[in-house]
Amino acid sequence: MHQPIVSRRTKLVALLFSACMLLAYGERPWAHAVVTESSLTKNPIQPNHATTVVLFFNSNVELPLSRVFLVSKGDVYHPVQIEKGKKQGEVRIQVPALDPGDYALKYKVFAADGHFTENVIRFHVSEPR
Amino acid sequence: MYMQGLANFIDDFLGGLILISYALVVGSLLWSAFILRVWSPGFAAHESVVRRAVALLRAGAIALAVTQGLKLVIKAVVLASVLGEFPADAYIGTVQFQAGLIRLLLSLGLIFVAGQLQQTPDKPSSWNLAAILIVPLVIAGAWLVHGVGRFEDREQLMILTVLHQFAAAVWFGGVAQLLSLWYMSRQSQEAKTLWPVAITRFALLGVSSVVLLLLTGLPLAWTYVGSWDGLLGTGYGSLVFTKILLLMVALGFAYLNNRAGRLWLERRQTEGLDNKVPHYIEAETFILVGTLFIAATLSSQPPSVDIKELTATVSEVTEMFAPRMPRLTSPTHEQLLAGEPGRVAVVDKVPSPAATEWSDYNHNMSGIFLTVMALVAMLSYSKRFEWARYWPLGFVGLSIFLFFRSDAETWPLGPIGFWESTFGNGEVFQHRIATLLAFALGVLEMRARTNRNARQLRYLFPILCAFGGILLLTHAHAEFELKSEYLIQSTHTAMGLLAVIVASGRWLELRLAETDERYAVGGVLEGKIAGFIAILAMFLIGLILLVYREPLF
Repeated sequence: MHQPIVSRRTKLVALLFSACMLLAYGERPWAHAVVTESSLTKNPIQPNHATTVVLFFNSNVELPLSRVFLVSKGDVYHPVQIEKGKKQGEVRIQVPALDPGDYALKYKVFAADGHFTENVIRFHVSEPR
Repeated sequence: MYMQGLANFIDDFLGGLILISYALVVGSLLWSAFILRVWSPGFAAHESVVRRAVALLRAGAIALAVTQGLKLVIKAVVLASVLGEFPADAYIGTVQFQAGLIRLLLSLGLIFVAGQLQQTPDKPSSWNLAAILIVPLVIAGAWLVHGVGRFEDREQLMILTVLHQFAAAVWFGGVAQLLSLWYMSRQSQEAKTLWPVAITRFALLGVSSVVLLLLTGLPLAWTYVGSWDGLLGTGYGSLVFTKILLLMVALGFAYLNNRAGRLWLERRQTEGLDNKVPHYIEAETFILVGTLFIAATLSSQPPSVDIKELTATVSEVTEMFAPRMPRLTSPTHEQLLAGEPGRVAVVDKVPSPAATEWSDYNHNMSGIFLTVMALVAMLSYSKRFEWARYWPLGFVGLSIFLFFRSDAETWPLGPIGFWESTFGNGEVFQHRIATLLAFALGVLEMRARTNRNARQLRYLFPILCAFGGILLLTHAHAEFELKSEYLIQSTHTAMGLLAVIVASGRWLELRLAETDERYAVGGVLEGKIAGFIAILAMFLIGLILLVYREPLF
């Protein structure tokens, strides 16, 4: 009878180590659906006017499983409405009227291939001219 | 937040396990068809050998059912934790859920059919049923890949990816069956008789699968990567590149096996076939497992063609590996803590140079530990330096360094208590485990090398290196600052690749040394070369850490 290459005790220790390593490396940022185009770059948000921000993703997005938040100074989160646009990968975000200042849109989207993406788009609302 | 990160990670890790399970199922069926020839009337393979192959197929089906089922559950957990609620109807309505559920049900069916085949392995109708179940199982994969979310060439990409996965499954599943047959041959004459025949028959199947891998992989890489910059300057591209490198190493082992098979055919020479080939196949398995995990990680990376403006240039990537003096001084705790609120803010984010320098110092010092350990390990190959076999003690020193440096705000250097920080903060918890792992690995490897009664522990080091390498390869950074995080990831990917090489090299060294004890064929020299390559790879990991510089973001 041949002895097993790796004894039962070694297997157990390896398993324990592996479980620990899994925990140790556990935090993993995700990104698959990425924004390929944003209306914010061409049409900055005007102060005190509700705006529709349009984002284009590189992949189809499951909207019922996605959320977008407006983040204001002090990292305060406000959920905002999202809807599907007419073009593929287009998501329309209803942003309320904003005072001048720094903001961000934090999105958590579920891509059609089953991967979650969390990301942030920072933007600035300028003083009215 | 930590649990969400962990669930996300497990979700992706399961992707690798699903690919391995899938390969065991698909590869085992093809093995049974072409190597054991179970569809041929009065097939030549002995029933016991066929039963063994079916057992592996069944184990693959069980693993696939479990991992696929877990993936559906974990995905639901991730959704609930990210969204703060669980929209069950919307989740059930996704193509991901439906395709995953179909795979789960088909796997359950296969478990049942494989159970029947174990009872009556010569029943053609059961084999037909297994094949009928596996066809939709393969096709269902089309709705679980990148291509399904694409806007252009969606169907072509889905088909190409399914064929690519199929080819990989035939290769890996066949290699797993070869290993299983070899283990069996140590106790069974029937398996021993089939062993050289199986090696030679598998050559054709293996070559066919490699050709199909290339024919499908090249257009996929061209579509998703698109340029040399994309190949070297993005997470997706670098993983494709690493996958190609690992495949080349695996092909090298496959060539050695094939050559031994041809020698047997021409001269009935079984020496290499019996004592070296099995260990080459074991090392090839390490490499292929790493490759399958990379394939799973690829599916969660944005394709290079979609992030052209965020692609790092080749010079930016090479700069990450450029020789430079390691950072030997660290910012103070006060400087580090002062920059933290701005660094983690979403709005008004301010990069923290102190945090970057703190991290550089930690990496560079760890690099010093590893390079010194590797150099001492190299000396240990000479009998003149007996003391050098104590090189694993370096891991203990590294763990003590990490204990003090990983989390500046916690005990023993910071104000937050040990227990409070360990169980109150996910990141600190992770660092504590990593520290403990390094300490325990040092102690165990030390025992394995110096205590003859603890020889079984020797295999722990390569197994854990392989696992650590896989974690580094799958632990891809790609979120808020794609380019900066990719530059960090490029170093981790390189270290992951090298860790897999450390694992297979050390494994081969240990196994060939054992073979030499039994057969006296000169395997020790080859084993020592493999072991030295492993130490060299560890040295290179140390060098990468030694010159590590984190981009400021």
